[in-house]
Amino acid sequence: MEIKELMQELSALKGVSNASMIRDNVVKLDIDKNSSKEFFTKLRDDFGFEHCSLITAIDNQPEFELVYHFTSVNKSVTVGSTDMSVMMEAHVFLERDTPTIESISDLWGGANWHEREAFDLMGIYFVGHPDLRRVLLPEGFAGHPLRKDYVYEIHEEEW
Amino acid sequence: MSSKKVRGNPGLRRGVGSKTTDLDEIMEDPPAGDWLTLRSDQLLEWIDNAVYNVAETTGMREVVNRVTRPIFNYGQRFSPHPLHFGIMCCAIEMGQASAPDHDIDRLGLVYRSSPRQCDVLIVNGPVCEKLRPKLKTLYEQMPEPKWVIAMGECAISGGPYWDSYSVVAGADTFIPVDVYIPGCPVRPEALMHGFLTLQKKIREKEPGMFLRR
Repeated sequence: MEIKELMQELSALKGVSNASMIRDNVVKLDIDKNSSKEFFTKLRDDFGFEHCSLITAIDNQPEFELVYHFTSVNKSVTVGSTDMSVMMEAHVFLERDTPTIESISDLWGGANWHEREAFDLMGIYFVGHPDLRRVLLPEGFAGHPLRKDYVYEIHEEEW
Repeated sequence: MSSKKVRGNPGLRRGVGSKTTDLDEIMEDPPAGDWLTLRSDQLLEWIDNAVYNVAETTGMREVVNRVTRPIFNYGQRFSPHPLHFGIMCCAIEMGQASAPDHDIDRLGLVYRSSPRQCDVLIVNGPVCEKLRPKLKTLYEQMPEPKWVIAMGECAISGGPYWDSYSVVAGADTFIPVDVYIPGCPVRPEALMHGFLTLQKKIREKEPGMFLRR
């Protein structure tokens, strides 16, 4: 399969917009939040992206942006004249009032701790996650410190 | 016998003013309920008091101290076994100090992996809020006598992370620190100098004798 064909098939799916190429073997997509689970299921089952590399949360005030990176290791896609593995970068935009999205930890097991980290530091709530606890900060920590509007006042008092 | 000085924690000793015989009073066990909540420092204090009282009444204390102090102090100075515990990049320098270039083993340092076998706790990195109770537990698991070395800026004051949301501003906020080694990261030579400073402190400040007082 050519990389251009892959991009066209991906952009024909439901909820996908703004398909573009970042590098020769990296596809970038914007995904609607409501059809994200359906898209990710098809991505794993039909397109062979079997590795969830990374889930990152960004605070572009006022909305949140989730960036998913997926890799297709075994499936070779023709880029130019070479067969190589491809990556896909999916962006999902969330409103600040409702930072919730469906969990994909049942599709990719490695997404479990990525989602816990995004919940811990940025406060994204993954619906359907089996064990949504804090992973880096201790239990009982108040707030989500990587949000731009997080205010930490304790050291201002001490110093 | 009239100049007998009986020391001890009133909570752990009974019948200080009673008219029992001397040996009963000196070697009395702590109350039975206290064994359940007895910490290691309390047990040591009780042993100290019992041994001190016996030695003081019999006059053996000066003799034993005069003989054993140099030996025990020598042993403590030249075998400070640190805990093999690394937090961040200063742990790399700690490993480098054991490498052939610097060979910190010649100071008597043998890294032990269990806190029960250690004398020195090296805090070599920023202590975050999640690590703090674990590090406190490690410190309390170490047997007396024990010392703590704060290695690097992060362990001294929090370093570049002093205003972070999860980094503790210095290891001395929750455990007593004996030697501070500045540097970011600490060079192996500086770590060796820190251990030499600790040896100096043990020689001057610690009794290092069979009888701890």
